[in-house]
Amino acid sequence: MTETDPAPAPQAVDPRLLEILVCPLTKGPLRYDPERGELVSERAGLAYPIRDGIPIMLPEEARRLDA
Amino acid sequence: MPRMAETAPFDRRLLRLRRDRAARTVPRVMPLLEAVAELLLDRLNDTTRRFHRALEIGGRGAIAPRLSARGIGLVVSADLSAAMAARAGGVAVAADEEALPFAEGSFDLVVACGSLHWVNDLPGTLLQIRRLLVPDGLFLGAMPCLPTLSPLRLALAEAEAGLRGGASPRVSPFPELQDGAALLQRAGFALPVADRERLDLVYRDPLALLADLRAAGEQSALRARDGRTPPRALFGAALAALPSPLRPGLELLVLTGWAPDPARQPKPARPGSATARLADALGTVEHKAGERAAPPEA
Repeated sequence: MTETDPAPAPQAVDPRLLEILVCPLTKGPLRYDPERGELVSERAGLAYPIRDGIPIMLPEEARRLDA
Repeated sequence: MPRMAETAPFDRRLLRLRRDRAARTVPRVMPLLEAVAELLLDRLNDTTRRFHRALEIGGRGAIAPRLSARGIGLVVSADLSAAMAARAGGVAVAADEEALPFAEGSFDLVVACGSLHWVNDLPGTLLQIRRLLVPDGLFLGAMPCLPTLSPLRLALAEAEAGLRGGASPRVSPFPELQDGAALLQRAGFALPVADRERLDLVYRDPLALLADLRAAGEQSALRARDGRTPPRALFGAALAALPSPLRPGLELLVLTGWAPDPARQPKPARPGSATARLADALGTVEHKAGERAAPPEA
């Protein structure tokens, strides 16, 4: 349960959370990518990681989509 | 929007690091955090409203279990530190109070206990919180206010002035009670109330106070703090100047506000909507504005 390696372990996010999460920068919708374990904000061009089932909704931790 | 990174008083990155580290040590200060949580959540007893979807911010394990125990079905725990959020007791999210990642109207209760005093843009954060609430949703917040930690602040400043001929801020600036209601009003909350609670703490040893602050992740995250290593004598001199036992005086600013809901909240009646005359109720004669009362007849 204390897996910390960067390989995206597909850990389930509480579905009730997925319903209400938005991009913190644009407040726009997010697309859940269960394979990569990411929440993607197309408008901000950022993918927010999910680590140990916890969405990390911090822009400085997000992956840039154009990179 | 102005970029505030250069002028913002708090270093949020440093704060996140502090809270990450404190995730392991926070059980040490749990009795204190729980006492604060009890004080704050006691306010829920003042309303007959039932809540179903709650967000708690910065609760560090003291808030979420108490909300669940009150029968609230969904409790989300947000913290700047993922490690802290993970042990907070609710459905965990790492989130920045200054850029909250929730859709409008997601919650009917938001409780922010113990992190708002590290927020750079407090009016902006309160506005975002208000938008997360459904109409008639409740916001409860608690943060330290002055004169919390004043003896420590003074002792450090005096000791540093003596050693270096100048002082740098080493204790977070806290808001004052007067700021509270204005902040709520500015964020558009209805029925805003700001009041104060006091927790009397006694430390036999000032070092224990510093250790507790560290365990809670509450070391100063001021951007303007002096980056140089403080002189070895600084803390010794400051702590020696503190009275023993030490009463750091935790003063809490408690904020209560409701998301506006014209249908369910009391509001003043429209002018001209009265159905009875004031003069009748008072048993007197009504005079037009500007008309002088006739002098009593001789």
